[in-house]
Amino acid sequence: MATLLRSVRRLVPGLALAVTLAGGTLAVVEPATGARLVRIPGGVYVPLTRTTKDPAQVTVAAFRLEERPVTNAEFLAFVTANPKWRRSQVSRLFADSSYLDYWAGDLELGPRAPARSPVVRVSWFAARAYARWVGRRLPTTAEWEFAAGAGYTRPDGRNDEQLNRDLYAWLARPVPDVQPAVAVGRPNCYGLRNLHGLVWEWVDDFNNAMVTGESRGDSGLERDLFCGAGSVGAKDTTDYAAFMRVALRSSLKANNTTTALGFRCAQDAAP
Amino acid sequence: MTMKPALFLLLAARLALGAEAPTQLTAAPACPHCQEGAAAVATAGAAFSKESIYQIDARFTDDSGRSFTLGELRGRPVVLDLFFASCGYACPLLVSDMQAIRAKLPAGIRDRAAFVLVSFDVARDTPAALAQYRAQRSLDGQWTLLHGDDQAVRELAALLGVKYREEADGTFSHSNIITILNEQGEIVHQRYGLKGGLDEAAAALAAAVK
Repeated sequence: MATLLRSVRRLVPGLALAVTLAGGTLAVVEPATGARLVRIPGGVYVPLTRTTKDPAQVTVAAFRLEERPVTNAEFLAFVTANPKWRRSQVSRLFADSSYLDYWAGDLELGPRAPARSPVVRVSWFAARAYARWVGRRLPTTAEWEFAAGAGYTRPDGRNDEQLNRDLYAWLARPVPDVQPAVAVGRPNCYGLRNLHGLVWEWVDDFNNAMVTGESRGDSGLERDLFCGAGSVGAKDTTDYAAFMRVALRSSLKANNTTTALGFRCAQDAAP
Repeated sequence: MTMKPALFLLLAARLALGAEAPTQLTAAPACPHCQEGAAAVATAGAAFSKESIYQIDARFTDDSGRSFTLGELRGRPVVLDLFFASCGYACPLLVSDMQAIRAKLPAGIRDRAAFVLVSFDVARDTPAALAQYRAQRSLDGQWTLLHGDDQAVRELAALLGVKYREEADGTFSHSNIITILNEQGEIVHQRYGLKGGLDEAAAALAAAVK
């Protein structure tokens, strides 16, 4: 059935499909075309945390990024077409027990999951599978941070006071029980919304952030990444939010899901 | 202090994880030649268990240039490590530790176990480079050396809980984790770090083979 749906969806991209499910429920499968992609010109990303071995700058090639996070409705279309990613069927290897647990059911969003709100409580594996399903991928850390470093009016957002005020106001607010709709916030200068102020987002190479662990260098890395040495080495010690993102990524396992962690997809820029 | 609750909730979620679901077989894949939903072809064998890391569809290439999926290891206990061939410090120790684990296994199990090295260094550790590494380290036919693309390696590393990243000097910082898999490809034990734990790893492997 999943394969059939996918091929029909590919043939008729604008079509919404009505599907009778096993229990006799009628579900409408929206065509999952994904959010609009915005082209982000290449540039230089200055990593926040640096060991002595790290490059001072990372060059980011031009790429395309979805203008907003993936919504509950979009993710519902994905799990409808891919039964192994439904809440009741997913393997614990790929998503922990709180995966999509705020939905009313396997294929029912319910009052805590408005269709236009960002999907959260998804694992890295699930986010990646969705991205592949829509023919896209997750952004890398460098791409995400490069895009998120932009201000409301110019690519370098470091001194954008309004952006910083909004960002820290968000960080100070508790996570709401029901997430507000995506694409409501003010876009940055690329036209991207919600990179700050709605949910945290998975990146493809989240597992390159090493803060705790067992590697030969981990205790050193921990010092370099995080405490005194890390802050001194960091280019911009005022970017507290970026430290928090590193902390979050390094604390995650790929099957973890959490209350305010969603994702958006990316794509290579057309050559 | 304006700490977002996400981190704390995450910790709570982990603590709340509790017992894993019991092992069960996933739905058998439909036979392309039969009606959809028909029982799987018997010759293809049962599907992998829900805890099996062999569920990932990542493809690798071994050091003889042959395409390889991890599911081919099914039926053998496995000692698995991610490494890179030009590593000057931790990786040689890890390979030596894997050899030590092998030496500690009971004879009947020792000959059945598979020893698998998968490289982080997708650019330099080509199948040919891995073949050279095999020769240098005198690794016999029980060893499988695998090259994969970045996506395949990152997915496997994520499954094993291994963190890694390439440094500017071309080396890789990485977690040192030796993983023991049972015959179904389920993780039964992991040895963290570079010191000790070899007896436990060998015992876990022997215990996994009934």
